Amino acid sequence: MQPIIEMKNIVKIYDNGVVANNGVNFVVNKGEIHALVGENGAGKSTLMKILYGIEQPTDGEIILNGESVTFKSSLDAIDHKIGMVHQNFMLVPSFTVASNVVLGSEPLKKGLIDREKVLQVTQELSDQFGLFVQPDAIVDSINVGQRQRVEILKTLYRKAEILILDEPTAVLTPQETQDLFKAIRTLVQQGKTVIFITHKLREVKEISDRVTVMRHGKMIGTVDTKDVTREQMANMMVGREVFLNITKPEMKRAEKRMEIKNISFISDTGRPVLRDVSFNLYAGEILGIAGVEGNGQTELVEVLTGLKKSAGGSVIVKDEEILDHSPRDIRQKGIAHIPEDRLTNGVAVRASIEENLIVDRYFRAPYKKGFMLDYKLVDSKSNELIKQFGILTPNAKLPVGSLSGGNMQKVIVAREFSSNPYVLIASQPTRGIDVGATEFIREELVKIRTSGCAILLVSADLGEVMSLSDRIVTLYEGKITGVFPKAAEVSEEELGLYMLGIKQQTYEEMEKFL
Amino acid sequence: MKSFFKSKGFREFLRIVLALVIGLTLGFIITLFVSEDPINAYKSLLLGPLTRLNRIGDWLEESLTLILLGLTICIVFNASQWYIGVEGQMILGALASGCVALYVPLPPFPRILLAFLAAMIVGALWGLIPALLKAYYNANELVTSLMLNTVALKLFEYVLKNFIMHEKSRSVSSDYIGKEFRLGTFIPDWPFLHNIRELWMKQTNVTVMVYVVIAAVIVVYYLLYKTPFGYELRTVGLNAKFARYGGINVNKTIILSIMVSGIFAGLAGVHITLAIHNRLISNMTSGLGFEGINIAILAGNNPLGVPIAGLLYGYLRAGADVMERSSDVSRELVYVIQAMVLLLVTAERLLPVVKTRIAEHQEETGNGSAGHVKQIEEKGDTHVN
Amino acid sequence: MSIELVIKSIFSSLFIASVIRISTPIIFPAMGGLVATAAGVPNMALEGIMNVGAFTGVMVSAYTGNVWLAILAGMVAGIMMALLLGVFHLHFKSDLFIAGLAVNLMSSGGTVFLLYILTGDKGNSSNLRSLSVPNIDIPLIKDIPFLGDILSGHPVFTYLAFLSVFLVYIFLYRTRFGTHLRAVGENPEAATTLGINVTRTRLIALAISGVLASLGGMNLSMAYLQLFQKEMAAGRGWIGIAAVHLGAYKPVGVMLASMLFGFADAISNQLGSLNIPSQLVQMIPYATTVVALAVYAIQQRQSALDRMKKYQKEHTDSLAAEASNVE
Repeated sequence: MQPIIEMKNIVKIYDNGVVANNGVNFVVNKGEIHALVGENGAGKSTLMKILYGIEQPTDGEIILNGESVTFKSSLDAIDHKIGMVHQNFMLVPSFTVASNVVLGSEPLKKGLIDREKVLQVTQELSDQFGLFVQPDAIVDSINVGQRQRVEILKTLYRKAEILILDEPTAVLTPQETQDLFKAIRTLVQQGKTVIFITHKLREVKEISDRVTVMRHGKMIGTVDTKDVTREQMANMMVGREVFLNITKPEMKRAEKRMEIKNISFISDTGRPVLRDVSFNLYAGEILGIAGVEGNGQTELVEVLTGLKKSAGGSVIVKDEEILDHSPRDIRQKGIAHIPEDRLTNGVAVRASIEENLIVDRYFRAPYKKGFMLDYKLVDSKSNELIKQFGILTPNAKLPVGSLSGGNMQKVIVAREFSSNPYVLIASQPTRGIDVGATEFIREELVKIRTSGCAILLVSADLGEVMSLSDRIVTLYEGKITGVFPKAAEVSEEELGLYMLGIKQQTYEEMEKFL
Repeated sequence: MKSFFKSKGFREFLRIVLALVIGLTLGFIITLFVSEDPINAYKSLLLGPLTRLNRIGDWLEESLTLILLGLTICIVFNASQWYIGVEGQMILGALASGCVALYVPLPPFPRILLAFLAAMIVGALWGLIPALLKAYYNANELVTSLMLNTVALKLFEYVLKNFIMHEKSRSVSSDYIGKEFRLGTFIPDWPFLHNIRELWMKQTNVTVMVYVVIAAVIVVYYLLYKTPFGYELRTVGLNAKFARYGGINVNKTIILSIMVSGIFAGLAGVHITLAIHNRLISNMTSGLGFEGINIAILAGNNPLGVPIAGLLYGYLRAGADVMERSSDVSRELVYVIQAMVLLLVTAERLLPVVKTRIAEHQEETGNGSAGHVKQIEEKGDTHVN
Repeated sequence: MSIELVIKSIFSSLFIASVIRISTPIIFPAMGGLVATAAGVPNMALEGIMNVGAFTGVMVSAYTGNVWLAILAGMVAGIMMALLLGVFHLHFKSDLFIAGLAVNLMSSGGTVFLLYILTGDKGNSSNLRSLSVPNIDIPLIKDIPFLGDILSGHPVFTYLAFLSVFLVYIFLYRTRFGTHLRAVGENPEAATTLGINVTRTRLIALAISGVLASLGGMNLSMAYLQLFQKEMAAGRGWIGIAAVHLGAYKPVGVMLASMLFGFADAISNQLGSLNIPSQLVQMIPYATTVVALAVYAIQQRQSALDRMKKYQKEHTDSLAAEASNVE
């Protein structure tokens, strides 16, 4: 095995001083499947962007097939037969599969695009690499797994020898993941090299030949996959025990606060996303939803909070139906919501911190005084919250967009927690934020649970779900597959089986715990 | 002091001044090419309005209309609605107030009051059509509102020609509105002001509308920045999804923002009817349709900046009139200057941006990652479309 | 004229020919708008560019006596205005809508300003002897009764307009650059990663829209009339933008939408001879635009709802089927 890529001593310091890569050495051999793992923010995406020419390294050298290269843009990388499949697909939705595959270098006939050739080329590539697609289908109408195959075909059409796949399984169903793995193996058999970014260690074990672990912008080490266990890899990744140590006072579960019955939801494209989901939320308890992302968690939260219209079911709070009521009505019932996508739903980035803090309460006393909004009160309350929640900012008048991700999330948390919620629905409450803010938010969640709030926790971070929840429900393809009344007593492996739909409890088994 | 020069407000100010200077310079260069006596022409543009008392009056009168139009646009732009149906709202407001002033048999004070009321209501209602279409069906408000402007203008002409116009009249216009039903001069009839009042009244026609406009500026300021409705409006403008998530009724806010803005367009209609033309006449709004946008943009969509921008452009327009009369350069030069300023003021890269640079700020506080910064910049401009 | 006569005339070949003629200055800016919108830079300056094109064509034809040179100059002027917009939006990061409005303001002000300098008149250019483009009689077809009247004898621009629909279609869907242009409009990030220069593509798209809009303007001043008038486009640029929406961003659809407005306009011309107040009649094209946009928007919403309902029904049906299978 000889190295096809050597990235030597790569340093990347962003203009704002953030050190994303600090002396990384990364070697990939020809014809291997090389997994690159690390926590969020470990620097693996940056490293790959450098390899693909999207970012330029501050220092260091890239050696490709024994020759030193510099990439000014991704085009240079493409010229050197490197292809990348991004996490958010780079496809043109109204174009056909084939048009997307050849986009940028379409075959021509008499000056016009040779449409037959386009279809034919795509079909050939599809056959050659076992990546099944329908060349004349419109991308808008095909599913995520197919779109990913289109992305891979795009790189192959450009003669890529090295493929970088950025968290390719994050959006896939288990079946699709298996299909993808099969395709990757075919690619490698035909001489391609694959770099596979992930943080799912099970997949690393399953698919990769070697694995490189990154942490805090540094490379921790590269090892043969067969020589390490998942636990060892996990330790390399986080440098501490994977399972979080959160001191949780004993649960004192009290009355039922939200009764969710047979909720269904259908996507715009007609895909059933939620199927007859039922469970109850109780005061003083955190119910965690465990599931691979894209199995209906997002939609569940959006239906419960009134942001999306359901396709049937019932949600009872305080003896009243609230399903499909307006977000305002639902909030008035005491339901707080930490949204999954904070920049879209959670804040208005160009509005000030204090204006972001009052969106759920500006219209009522004491904030509303007569016709006016009492900005003095808003100011003082905001400063209280800033202090209480440790939001790092010189003052409350700055735009919330000037805060770091963690502080921005604290603004959301401050708003939602200070509404003294009857029920709190927290979706990805610590995604993409720094350790300090993460720990703070987790502690606060436990605190309000202990003081009697009912909490629904949705998180892609299984460790978070397991260590914070009192009770866990697994969601797979929009259905509840299992319920675990004592979160502390279930293992990650066991949960995984239910999250991936391999095991399923019967309704009778689940009924009394839901 | 140093911090003042670095402050956001100062930089914003500098930017606008720069845009104006460049615009005026360009205007001068054009004048150099086309005029026999460019210095004189430009002098009359820049200094003309101040040379006589009646010209000062013209300037102020013009400015009052412009300020009201600026406020109208300021409201809708704060809600991120590309609604530009101001001209239609204004002309129908003018029609309503004119009809009341001409025909409703009431004593002066209640009649004028009713004229105001009628114009404000008509202005608000005319915005309802595009507002409903936008809010519930997401129809492009820019196009609908523009089309409705023409419809409103034709409607005005139709009513004027068929029901109001005096048969013997030589121009397409109504009779003059009775003196007592027009707006009075803005200087109160107090003994010690008597002489000034007489002088002003002889030379100019600046009316009590001054006070209405001052009140309107304050009302819009408070409305936008101090009331729950203003909060809703601005929040919808900044991020409609966030507003919805927070419980704000986005559709209602969009509709109300357009209707409330119509009130001020209606007031502009009152002003051109009861203070400037003193009758209903064909083409009364000519050239005013887009001024609101010029002014709102120059004012940075801040209602407190609107009077300054309004006075400035009122001055330019008044100067253009003087220039046209006293030289060989026509007044349309001002539109070219204004267009240039409009382009420059919004050109973030040409005249460095004032928006709080998120990346910059993070450098100062030293936290946050680069990816995060990029995300904000991409998602920050969520337009409501 | 009586109402019967009007109705009769609506079904005449002359009327249909007039719809075609009147649609021409809408089809041009609509096609321009389509190209720009497809590239993700909806051009709000079409109205102003039409005015500039109309003005330039008239002036150059009056001063050079060469109608083809005039058309060329008008197109160049259209490109310049579109590029002004493009440079400010793409390079200096001006807001596209505001910059579009600014270009309109500059065009309507600038044309009147120059008109006054060149003719001493602010209303129109009637004291200049400007030229008009020739009408084209199509051999053979012109002799066919009825059809001949409809299809033959129009000004060059009319044929160009319909040709432009075809060309825009080929351009957008069959050429490499056109395909890239649409990709840039839909997913600029994806286009960038494939080496497509987004800024340059958009600039060219705007330039194309400028050419087409200026042709629309010249159709008004060098075929429809033989002079330039202040604000000559009279909202046609905006109607063109509405047509882009109504035509669902497809060349033929946009053409049909433009012809709908042409039809409304032609009707209003016909009704003008009746004893109906002209102002009400003149409203028709504009009111039609609003109504058409409203109907279109409502129908879009409705079809989305219907689709949703259909899916929901399918879903409940399949659930029921599943349940019965279990039993």
